[in-house]
Amino acid sequence: MHIFKSLSWAIVLRFGGVITGLLCSSLLQAAEKTAAEKSAAVKEGASVFRANCSPCHGLNARGGGRGPDLTSGRWTHGSSDAAIFRTISQGVPGTEMPANALEASEIRTIISYLHSLSPPKNLVVMGDPAKGREIFYGKAGCADCHMVAGHGGVLGPDLSRVGASRSVSYLIDSIREPNKDLSSGMTDPNNHYGLPLVYDTVTLVKADGTKLTGVAKNEDTYSVQLISTDQKLHVLLKRDLKEVTHEHRSLMPAYSEDALHSPELAHLIAYLETLRGEDRASMPSREPNTGGTKEAK
Amino acid sequence: MKGALLPALLFVTALSQAQVTNERLLGAANEPQNWLTYSGRYTGWRYSTLDQIIPTNASRLAMQWTFQVGDLGQFETTPLVVDGVLYGTGQNDRAFAIDARTGRPIWRYQRSLPEKLQPCCGMVNRGLAILGERLFMATLDAHVVALDTKSGNVLWDVTAADYRKAYTFTVAPLVVKNEVIVGISGGEYGVRGFIDAYDAATGGRLWRFETVPGLGEPGHETWKGDSWKTGGAPAWITGTYDPELNLVYWPTGNPAPSNFGGERGGDNLYSNCMLALDADTGKLKWYFQFTPHDLYDYDATQIPILLDAQWEGRPRKLLVQANRNGFLYVLDRTDGKFLSAKSFGKVTWATEIGADGKPVVNANLKTDPQGTLVCPGALGLTNWYAPSYSPDTGFLYVATSTECDLFTSSPQPYRAGHDFLGSVYVPDPVERPTGALKALDALSGAERWSFPYFSNPNGGALSTAGGVVFAGESDGNFIALDAKTGHDLWHVQLGAAIYSTAITFQVDGKQYVAIPAGAGLFAFALQ
Repeated sequence: MHIFKSLSWAIVLRFGGVITGLLCSSLLQAAEKTAAEKSAAVKEGASVFRANCSPCHGLNARGGGRGPDLTSGRWTHGSSDAAIFRTISQGVPGTEMPANALEASEIRTIISYLHSLSPPKNLVVMGDPAKGREIFYGKAGCADCHMVAGHGGVLGPDLSRVGASRSVSYLIDSIREPNKDLSSGMTDPNNHYGLPLVYDTVTLVKADGTKLTGVAKNEDTYSVQLISTDQKLHVLLKRDLKEVTHEHRSLMPAYSEDALHSPELAHLIAYLETLRGEDRASMPSREPNTGGTKEAK
Repeated sequence: MKGALLPALLFVTALSQAQVTNERLLGAANEPQNWLTYSGRYTGWRYSTLDQIIPTNASRLAMQWTFQVGDLGQFETTPLVVDGVLYGTGQNDRAFAIDARTGRPIWRYQRSLPEKLQPCCGMVNRGLAILGERLFMATLDAHVVALDTKSGNVLWDVTAADYRKAYTFTVAPLVVKNEVIVGISGGEYGVRGFIDAYDAATGGRLWRFETVPGLGEPGHETWKGDSWKTGGAPAWITGTYDPELNLVYWPTGNPAPSNFGGERGGDNLYSNCMLALDADTGKLKWYFQFTPHDLYDYDATQIPILLDAQWEGRPRKLLVQANRNGFLYVLDRTDGKFLSAKSFGKVTWATEIGADGKPVVNANLKTDPQGTLVCPGALGLTNWYAPSYSPDTGFLYVATSTECDLFTSSPQPYRAGHDFLGSVYVPDPVERPTGALKALDALSGAERWSFPYFSNPNGGALSTAGGVVFAGESDGNFIALDAKTGHDLWHVQLGAAIYSTAITFQVDGKQYVAIPAGAGLFAFALQ
């Protein structure tokens, strides 16, 4: 659209007068046609997006439990059309974003649709990431259960790239209301229709009556692999258990306004937004690099 | 004179043993050492009279061999076994013959597929059919091919439809007389469904039944405007056959787009139907539609089970189907008359099936832009994976899922070769779906026992005269259960989701049970 606008002004300046109206008229028609085509592309893109992308990125691309907000204007894997095209078609290795066997024309309509979306206005992050980091490792105790770049607990999800993979609104919900949408665990690449386990609360009762509470890393009809709240790994057969109970609630405490004031929450979110899986070397307590050969195979 | 005839007769006998004749297919139940059709016999029972493995010794089952097909993915084949040789298909249209005692390959076939294919649900193939010395395979690029049983060489190869418009085959063919019968896939792409029969000798097409009626044909009025042209109604699971009635029973899938009905007003025949087709001509004898004007992707593509039983005091030829929409139906298979329907799990889309066989749709389900929760979900209370019927118990063994889904719905323009869903569904975010293998009274639908699975299944059931039911889980466990009680007898973890159903066969006096999982085909027998 903006290309046509510039072009029409250039023509007006050069020729002026009567011809201006004629040219403007035809150019406006072209622009309208282009706008109609663009609108059609956006509409089709919305449809393709809903069918293929919304299960992870949400029906309106505002982010879901598995995929980031695509309206934030921040593109971890490149913001150009070519980069977004590549991300959609090839996926992002090492993340939950798969390659998609869509036709090029379909991907272009998705990109048109994404460009048509405006970022949510009420979610601008005003906090200080450095202060947020202090809260993460200090007052809020997040690192007791969550790992970032190799440091922290193992009960909750690794947050090393949570800023790239989750929307701000999702992060806020996860802190204020952790039961609202439980995070997903490991997926089975061999089970096309399977659903991952979620970080719900699992309680096991052993034959002697002792209880274990924690998060199931995996489970099937015959066995369960559990990390208990003391962060120990237990591998158990169900025949040795009296009971296995799932409660659809997170083991993570809800951080209310009393526990975490809004400015603190903003700082924490600002810190989490910086976690994009790219900065392991900057972690302060990282073990020193002991060298070694890169040729070792 | 007699002396001269005897060697000749023996020679004929030896030849007939080498070939799978129509007589052998009709009498498949009499040679339990083999597995001659997709469901084991024309009745669709997936039941064997082999009885070496019984509840008291099933714990001694041990792996005998493994065959690696070459590709990971959804290994959905039901192999055939003929006189010690096992024939199967794999992902990406592979086929193979292996020594059924050792698992050693005799030949492998790999179809050269075009780059751009549109199977909705994986590059899968569900198996072969056999007649004479020919195997028949329906391919992802919408061809039907005949392979030589000894070499895997291609004997003929015919095009059924245009794969560029998303027509594709995943089905295992059914051989009836001299016909190779196949049904098309592509309901997620707005194909116009069909069931074809090809001449087993030449590959020439003998008949086609279009599952969406064209202009002037009965049923055409059940489609608004031109919606019939892209109406779907695929036919992607293998049917069954009654030789006395000379009828082929073939189920059909969803109308397209699957989740938006606003532009295809009407019942949308013959989507989600059971079709009874004259085996010689493909003409429609009768139909029964389970889910008219479907909005939830309730393909009726579940194996029709053929039973002869007493019904209301008189012997009757019945057809039983545990339908994806959550109801177990009993029909009279001579004329399609509806006899009964009973839900076998949680169903919210309909409150009941009326006396006329039509669903009483739940009027309280309102479309919500954020999704409407409907049970069963789009993958159904059960699905394409095979059920099994045991005449010993009278039970129908059905793998079931508890998944309910949030359905959204919106118009979608049709583009040839592109998905055509009318929006999307997502699983209930609160209740993680589980599954169960259920034993249902085949006639009343009453649940006799239920063995719980941790996850919702993708694999079906096999029952045997030994009183054992074999089933595969999507968490990779292959399980043996007591057919009468559901008691857990034995299991083994195969390391990948099971997307198929076991078969059983016998070689050298030893009963084997074989099941595909991941890239491997695994065979078990008693230690």
